[in-house]
Amino acid sequence: MTLNGYKALPLVAAFVGFSFGASAADLTIYDALDFAPSAVKAFTAKTGVTVDVVEPGSTGEVLGKIAAEGDNPQFDIVWVDGSAVMERMLRDHILQAVPEEAISGVKYNEMGKSLLPKNRSFVPTGASTTAIEVNTKKVPSDQTPKSWADLEKFAGKVAAKDPNLSGPAFQWLAGYFQTNGVDTGKALLEKVLTNKALAGLSSGGKVNKAILTGDAVVGINQDSGIIAKAKAGEPVVAVYPADGSVALPIGLGVSAKTKHMDAAKKFIAFVTSAEGQAAMQAGDDTDFFFMPIIEGVKPKVDRPSDIKFIVLDDVKAASGETEWKQWYKAKFVP
Amino acid sequence: MIHRGLIMRFSNANSLLSTASSMLVYLAFFLLIGLPLTLVVMQVIFPDVFNPNNPNFEMSFGPLGRIFSLPRVYLAILHSVELASLVGVLATILGGAFAVIVQRCDIPWRKTVRIIPWIVFLTPAYLKTVAWVLLMSPGGYLAEFGLLPPLTGSLFFAFPGLTLVHALGLFPFATFIIGNALRGLGSEMEDAARLGGVSLWRIWLKINLPLLAPALALSFIAIFAQVLSDFGLASTIARMSNFGVLTYEIYAATSSYPIDFPLAGTQSLVLLSLVTVAVVADRLLRRKDDLKLISGRSRPSRDYRLGYWGWVVTVMAFIVAFIALILPVGAVIIRALTRTLSEGMSLHNFTLVNLIEASNIHSMAFTALSNSLRYAVIASLISCAAAVSLALQLEGPGKFMRSSVMSLALASVAIPGIVFGFGYILMWNRLPFFKDFSFPHYGDSSLLITGYVGVALPYALIVVMASIGQLAPSLNDSARLFGVGGFRRVIRITLPLIAFSVLTGFILNFIHIMFELPVSQMLIPRTESPAPIYVLRLLNYDKDGLACALSLLSMLIAGGAALILWLGFRWVASRNGAANNGQWISTPSLTGDR
Repeated sequence: MTLNGYKALPLVAAFVGFSFGASAADLTIYDALDFAPSAVKAFTAKTGVTVDVVEPGSTGEVLGKIAAEGDNPQFDIVWVDGSAVMERMLRDHILQAVPEEAISGVKYNEMGKSLLPKNRSFVPTGASTTAIEVNTKKVPSDQTPKSWADLEKFAGKVAAKDPNLSGPAFQWLAGYFQTNGVDTGKALLEKVLTNKALAGLSSGGKVNKAILTGDAVVGINQDSGIIAKAKAGEPVVAVYPADGSVALPIGLGVSAKTKHMDAAKKFIAFVTSAEGQAAMQAGDDTDFFFMPIIEGVKPKVDRPSDIKFIVLDDVKAASGETEWKQWYKAKFVP
Repeated sequence: MIHRGLIMRFSNANSLLSTASSMLVYLAFFLLIGLPLTLVVMQVIFPDVFNPNNPNFEMSFGPLGRIFSLPRVYLAILHSVELASLVGVLATILGGAFAVIVQRCDIPWRKTVRIIPWIVFLTPAYLKTVAWVLLMSPGGYLAEFGLLPPLTGSLFFAFPGLTLVHALGLFPFATFIIGNALRGLGSEMEDAARLGGVSLWRIWLKINLPLLAPALALSFIAIFAQVLSDFGLASTIARMSNFGVLTYEIYAATSSYPIDFPLAGTQSLVLLSLVTVAVVADRLLRRKDDLKLISGRSRPSRDYRLGYWGWVVTVMAFIVAFIALILPVGAVIIRALTRTLSEGMSLHNFTLVNLIEASNIHSMAFTALSNSLRYAVIASLISCAAAVSLALQLEGPGKFMRSSVMSLALASVAIPGIVFGFGYILMWNRLPFFKDFSFPHYGDSSLLITGYVGVALPYALIVVMASIGQLAPSLNDSARLFGVGGFRRVIRITLPLIAFSVLTGFILNFIHIMFELPVSQMLIPRTESPAPIYVLRLLNYDKDGLACALSLLSMLIAGGAALILWLGFRWVASRNGAANNGQWISTPSLTGDR
């Protein structure tokens, strides 16, 4: 067949004929938090600084994208649940320590101060925790679990997230090991998570579905998600175990290669201000029910605040991360 | 002498141009598919090549060893092969039956039966998975009506249920591929056999099935590859069935920090190898080139008159439609119209809030939908143009090149979108030279569209090559003898004859891209995010009612757009067909006119 340039024409024309220019925003944020667009909108309205909000999916999927970008990161700020992963990214030089001057002006309450890492791998902008999610239609009130150990009574019917895919789930696992000891903690979990079909779910939403329509009756889930579900009318309640719940900071990290540090500092100042915190509470989805850690900022009405919090040792958690995640996958993920 | 020299110089220049254009087409294929996949797979032996702190080319076969040392990995491989093989056979049988019914049988409600596979195909995979979980869970909609005995539920969330859902979702592929081949088959050979007194069964056994063998094999391999690459069911029903498959393992290896790239690369290599083995085995078994069926002289086949059996066939087709379409779409509609999951179908739980929010043209949801429509049109046009260019190019060289490109196209169907996405990030954000490109550029919609073209091109190529492969060489040879140039031959002969397949490829790709999730996630632009990302966001944040409403709207718009396109094509085809008396006019259409 005689060939002419026509074969290449469609390709060339299509590629050259239309153009999609690069974004000219002042700041690029990667996040997995449902209040981020609301906070960004308020920030831009106040400061005039434009922001591109990139939300590829869950915390795990955001982190996967960051890992793939490697030494050429395209974000200025990453904003997700969890602190141990921030420590790890700081070690790998994906993040830089947040500048002292960006934090020094923040008026943290006592809990906020306890969550602030010494190496400034991230700025905490709020917190939540992991609680026991109970379906009140399936579990009589006198049988409601009161501690993590009580979950053994529901073995085979406990839904949980895979810490390999969920930042909050890893935070919980690391905190659980911190309070119980690694070996004892592993032994306890092996007695509780006996149903692999329920023990390695990929998101809090799937834990909710398993509890509401599936075989699970209780679950280990982020409390803000449980509160949002209850508020939407679902028969679930968050139970905070007497032995304590590990605090899950909402962490904001700064890219090691950002060229927009001034804009990043302005954003940190905004989201840690009363005005920024109000924008982060202006909604009814999961993350809007976070626990404020700024002096004088109150939680949303339905959000309990008298919780026995445990603060995670991020350095130890980051050191054990690979081994613990692999152990969990081998034991509980189908 | 001067005249001869000029001709030679012109001939050389033409040959140079021809070589250059060939190279350009191959280069595009390599950049769109070959290089991104290579970057992922190369980490099998160079595990630290993309290490952010210490990148190096130290060779190691450690990642390969993990296939055999990690029980969950080799179990996942076995599960994937088992599932893909069974679904490949079942969906090919079901899809083939649909193709024969709608193309060859005079049945009641034929036009309606004809569009069933298209609507099944139109339903996004992630929505089907949500729907089946809503339907079959112990506290789901069917249980609410007392229609779900405990045994049914436990059987469903196991291998049989997984196989059924896959087969019901993928049979349209077989219908499209086998339907295209049936169209080219004509009825000359069948008529001749009938005149010779051969029974209908023997005609099918000895003539039609052997002639359709390439299409049947292609259908099996394409569906086999599709199942291997599936993530939606792998992450829901397969997980709930304790049935780990490779795609989920890849997802788990890549959705974290740090990424286990070597393991993801190794598992991707396994997926590629599985499909390549299937393609090579097919080639070795048949050892023949595909038959050239379209000669331009073939007569449309006559319908089989089934009498009362026609009603039986129609009822069976509607039963398939009920299970594959009505049940899952019904579940999605119910979820879109209800407030909470736990209240199910209680009257007071019904609401229009989700539909109203999804259809608000000023909402983020609607903006995302219009972005997706734009991306899908552009990427489908490019992928179809590229597929036609490449398919024409491959008609020239020997069988080896054709087989190689076809194998790579089929194998790339088996690669999960998430791996493609990673390949694109590595190529356009990490690889020297490419990362400095301003067009396409990582973080812009230009790269997202390029990624869509990459994942859609194999589908278009499979459909177009299957069609071009059936064209009799005599058509082009005759035209060449009359001095018709290459460009005119393509425009006046080849394109009209394959126009139906190109349109099929366009619509397939348009719908595919509208609902493509993993590539959208990985290559999400900083602005103008596509609809699947927004749906995922809603699902992640437990707003599955709104997610279902938005998905329904997407289906309606995508389906409407495809229908308008189809009707437009028919109008153009009938005008041109009437003028040219060509094959366009006799090409069977979606709505049943023959």
